[in-house]
Amino acid sequence: MNRREFGLGAAALAATISTPVWAQSGGMSREKVLHDWYRLVLELVRHTATYTPPVASRAFAYLGIIAHEATAGDIPLAGASLYRQLPGYAFPPVTAMALDHAVVLHGAMAHAVNHFFGNTGPTGQRAIKAMDDRMMQALLQGTPMNPEGSRGWGKAVAQHVIDWSANDGGAVVENMGFPREFALAEGPGKWVPTNAVRQQQLPLLPGWGNNRTFAAPSNVACALAAPVEYSEDPASGFYAEANEVYETTKALTDDQKAIARFWSDDPMLSPTPPGHWISIAMQLLEAEQAPIQKRAAVMAGLGIAVADAFICCWHDKFQVNLLRPITYIRAHIDAKWTPLLNTPPFPEYPSGHSVQSGAAQVVMDRFFGADFGFTDETGTADGLKPRSFTSFKHAADEAGISRLYGGIHFRAAIDRGLEQGRCIGAFAANLKFEV
Amino acid sequence: MRSLILMAAVASPAMAETPSFTDETASAGIVHSYDGDWEYMVGGGVASFDCNDDRAPDLVMAGGTSPAALFVNQSARGGALAFAKTAAGIEDVAVTGFYPLDIDNDGIIDLVMLKVGANKVLKGLGNCQFKDASADWGFDGGDAWSTAFAATWEKGAVWPTLAIGNYVDRKEEAFPWGSCTDNWLHRGGDKGFAAPVALKPSFCALSMLFTDWNLSGTPALRVSNDREYYKGGTEQMWHVEAGAEPRLYSADEGWRPLKIWGMGIASSDVNGDGYPDYFLTSMADNKLQVLTAQEGEKKPQFDDVAFKRGVTAHRPFMGDDLNPSTAWHAQFADVNNDGFDDLFIAKGNVSAMPDFAMKDPNNLLLGAADGVFVEVADKAGVASVGQARGAIVDDFNLDGWPDLAVVNRNGPAEIWRNNGGTGHWLMLRLAQEGANRDAIGAWIELKLGERVIRREVTSGGGHVSGALGWRHLGLGAAEKAEVRVIWPDGAEGDWQELVADQFYDLPQKAAAVVWTP
Repeated sequence: MNRREFGLGAAALAATISTPVWAQSGGMSREKVLHDWYRLVLELVRHTATYTPPVASRAFAYLGIIAHEATAGDIPLAGASLYRQLPGYAFPPVTAMALDHAVVLHGAMAHAVNHFFGNTGPTGQRAIKAMDDRMMQALLQGTPMNPEGSRGWGKAVAQHVIDWSANDGGAVVENMGFPREFALAEGPGKWVPTNAVRQQQLPLLPGWGNNRTFAAPSNVACALAAPVEYSEDPASGFYAEANEVYETTKALTDDQKAIARFWSDDPMLSPTPPGHWISIAMQLLEAEQAPIQKRAAVMAGLGIAVADAFICCWHDKFQVNLLRPITYIRAHIDAKWTPLLNTPPFPEYPSGHSVQSGAAQVVMDRFFGADFGFTDETGTADGLKPRSFTSFKHAADEAGISRLYGGIHFRAAIDRGLEQGRCIGAFAANLKFEV
Repeated sequence: MRSLILMAAVASPAMAETPSFTDETASAGIVHSYDGDWEYMVGGGVASFDCNDDRAPDLVMAGGTSPAALFVNQSARGGALAFAKTAAGIEDVAVTGFYPLDIDNDGIIDLVMLKVGANKVLKGLGNCQFKDASADWGFDGGDAWSTAFAATWEKGAVWPTLAIGNYVDRKEEAFPWGSCTDNWLHRGGDKGFAAPVALKPSFCALSMLFTDWNLSGTPALRVSNDREYYKGGTEQMWHVEAGAEPRLYSADEGWRPLKIWGMGIASSDVNGDGYPDYFLTSMADNKLQVLTAQEGEKKPQFDDVAFKRGVTAHRPFMGDDLNPSTAWHAQFADVNNDGFDDLFIAKGNVSAMPDFAMKDPNNLLLGAADGVFVEVADKAGVASVGQARGAIVDDFNLDGWPDLAVVNRNGPAEIWRNNGGTGHWLMLRLAQEGANRDAIGAWIELKLGERVIRREVTSGGGHVSGALGWRHLGLGAAEKAEVRVIWPDGAEGDWQELVADQFYDLPQKAAAVVWTP
């Protein structure tokens, strides 16, 4: 790639970007290229050991941006790029080469997936190669224009984003995200380990909240109210919150159990919470046979929203550093209480799933409408029955309250987390997309 | 008072003596490697058993894309380990592991050969020769990626029931996840095997073990599954009762889901409650499950005490590679003869997984009276950082001190001789007439001071590795001990006082007989 191409100004971009000859062969549509790569990405997120929810959200953001930028070039407007909308994202590469749309997107996604999942296991590596080979073979059957150049150009677009990602604070994840050294704060109400897993005696990714945000201006762009004041007094508001979790979980209905499990989204056993929303988006985009521009924009916007949500949420989690319900309830209410879900190994407030679901909702509202009803089949392969929702807000609210049913969050972390998420998601939803 | 003091002295174990091993890989005649790419990232087993009737354990090792190999034991008693590679009729390629078992009850040990492709049962002919008896015995080897095994004799059966665990559909390239092949139950009758029964659902088993977890007299089938590949899966346990279809233990019965990268099962009564406990290997933290304290009829509920007992073995204990570990074969054995089971764990990266330790030393965790295990693999000289898979702890040179063999992936197998120490020991060989001649499913009980040590005689578990032959018990400082056998049919043998540091044949209906190597 010619690095000088990065230095073109906006006017030059507008002139240059209109000159390439873009074409699309009949080998495979871009829509299918994107859908199939994302289908694999959801599996790789599940099967790559470092892909806890925050790490997954980061990959979804960059993959979405890459998909967007690899499809934006055929729109003869410089503004189609996310350039100038994301901090530090430099002017994207341009070219006058004759290119094939689908091969460019494939080249971009193949390079991006290899980069972001370069640490996956041998089965994942084998699957990436199989996907790459099969897709390229299918594309070549359509006799695309300049296939090698097109693939190379897609790679260049992806590499441009990858270069930008390198210094955001989240590029290196060691020990599956668990620090080897970390000083736990001591005192009433502070987070303490909640299980007997040796690796999880220190909290997950304590520095994640300092990562560079994407569309959100900063990690404190959406203020979070303080949690209910900690107290061990049975007459206190905090005790009442804990007791609500305790009493609710003791009398869960079958539907409440189903809700908790549906949104459990455990790392290594699911595509994680951000992947759950990506899965929802994929289902809806496929159902309406959405054009590539919408697909790419949704993936970019949604990825950015959930990534910002996890950065802001994680910042606040480690500022507040609140204990989990299991710690409080066993100490002050019932020593033998066990929640339905496994308690995640990091502080409680706010609820990460709630924050990122609130953020995702706002982006989905922007692309599909606020009263869009749908059925989500994300967990079907894992034996979870599909669930139907009247709106994205309905789904986000259910994702939030699922954490109370699961016994891993107090209500305040959910309600305020959803509020914070909706504030964060608005930054992504307000990005300029060409759809 | 004097007698009490004497009893305490006899009962107290020897000091937790750090064992010492000598790496005899270069001289022992074991030149072998478990080779292969993706289809051989799991597997790599070794079986230890006597194939030439000299009562010393011989070794057979899976080779993956290389031929399997049998090594005849030529070690002198207490001397350096010595083996000779011998053509035996087992030299298939695509073998993942072996388990020894006297399938046809003729007193000659046969082999179950697990493969990528059609499994085989190999009839032992004597003098370390084998022939494929799959067709003769009605054994349908299928066509899968077989990676786990366990055997039991169901009540009234003359032939054993074999459980075979299968891994992912190897033909699925782009989306292999969720494509776990069904496990199979080959039920034995009067002679030969019935058509295999699919154990649905199956979740990519890497270890299986028939074990009488609740002392009911009927072993259940524990299955450890690799969560990397299943969807909606969990660890499993099956009811396998004669004349009935196998059925899973359910949540209504108390079974609690556990989702790990299950790779190996080792069993022993670690906490001395009389019930078997289970060490489950995985990636990062490993699990040690003990039956929860319960009144009355037991529910299949287990507590993980790995952290409490110091056996999480979640990352290398030495070296500068501190990424999480990857554990495969595990086995309890009292390697220092102090009367407390120790735990060997074979470690090795799956294959170029940068988030996990590339230099991942094997573990040797010493058990002790306080129930907490202590790592000594480096001090003992067995902390190899090869890409270990299968392994076996067994007494190769018949000196009462368990030795160690490890199969590495894409690297040379290794073997260590236990240099011995001060503790005492017993070596026992159970024998029944008729079916199930090696008494699979029996319990050995040993009185050691105030403790009663219980050992379940099983076939299966580990990571595609198993032993059949002498059963070793460490005695600590005790120079004699009382032993009895509860036979698979439930009959309780008499308590017999046995003098330490001897080999004994224990026939079901006669007194123990000393055997001298």
